[in-house]
Amino acid sequence: MDGFTCNLKTYRVLKGMTQGELADIVGVRRETIMRLEKAQYNPSLKLAVDISRAVEAPIEAIFVFD
Amino acid sequence: MDTQKKAASKFPRWAALTLGGAACAALTAAAAWYDLTYNGGKLVYPIHSYAFAPTDIPMLLAVGLDVLYALYLAFLLVRGIRAQKEHTAKTGRTRRLSPKLGFLGFCGFLGFAGFWTYGAMGDLTGFMFFAFFGFFGFFFEGKMSNTLMDERYKENAVRAELKALRIGFGIIFFLLLFAGQARRLTAELVAPILIAGIALTVALTIFLSEYLLYRYDHDDAAAMEEDG
Repeated sequence: MDGFTCNLKTYRVLKGMTQGELADIVGVRRETIMRLEKAQYNPSLKLAVDISRAVEAPIEAIFVFD
Repeated sequence: MDTQKKAASKFPRWAALTLGGAACAALTAAAAWYDLTYNGGKLVYPIHSYAFAPTDIPMLLAVGLDVLYALYLAFLLVRGIRAQKEHTAKTGRTRRLSPKLGFLGFCGFLGFAGFWTYGAMGDLTGFMFFAFFGFFGFFFEGKMSNTLMDERYKENAVRAELKALRIGFGIIFFLLLFAGQARRLTAELVAPILIAGIALTVALTIFLSEYLLYRYDHDDAAAMEEDG
């Protein structure tokens, strides 16, 4: 996806979470987290907020739009 | 209780249903033979008025059994659909289906019966069976059986359905244009072409919406390239 960088993997690993655990917390599939980390999927605002709360990091640090 | 469960697992429902259907068909065939042999084929050939006779009983019983069997199948179908809907609403997951149901798509070949029914009786209904080719979509729906419907799934489902419908409407538009422009075609030819063409387009649309959903869900990168 053009102009979109995702730092989710960094913050998730810092929290010691697996993709599956994070997926369960925010109510999506593990594949969705996987694609998010590869910046292949643009999440909804709700999912972005849920992820931000789950990994305890600001949204703008996790999802960086050029 | 355990014995009952063991007996049930040894004799699954699909086998019982198949046996029941075969028994109904065998009884109907036997009743038809009896009617032709001992009742002058009264209930086999078309009749204009009916008066009951005791020799009609075997055929009436067989037909009654067929109706009960069909009603039971309809009841099972409705109950199954309701259970799947409840499962989806409760768990937020897709319905549980076996990919083997995709084999039902072969029922689409029944559409070729339309050539026979149209030629012999002028009946176009047979061509509509081409729509059953759409059941091949169960193969891909079954592959995504019991999948959590998260926002990415829902987005992909909408995208797949939209693309399938766009293709379907495009084909129908050109089909209508062709049928309207081809002056050499008579009404006798236009009708089956349109019915068969629309049935095949419906099948393609049903199949494509499931196939594209599966592809988008498992191959997002390719899908994004394709959509530009």
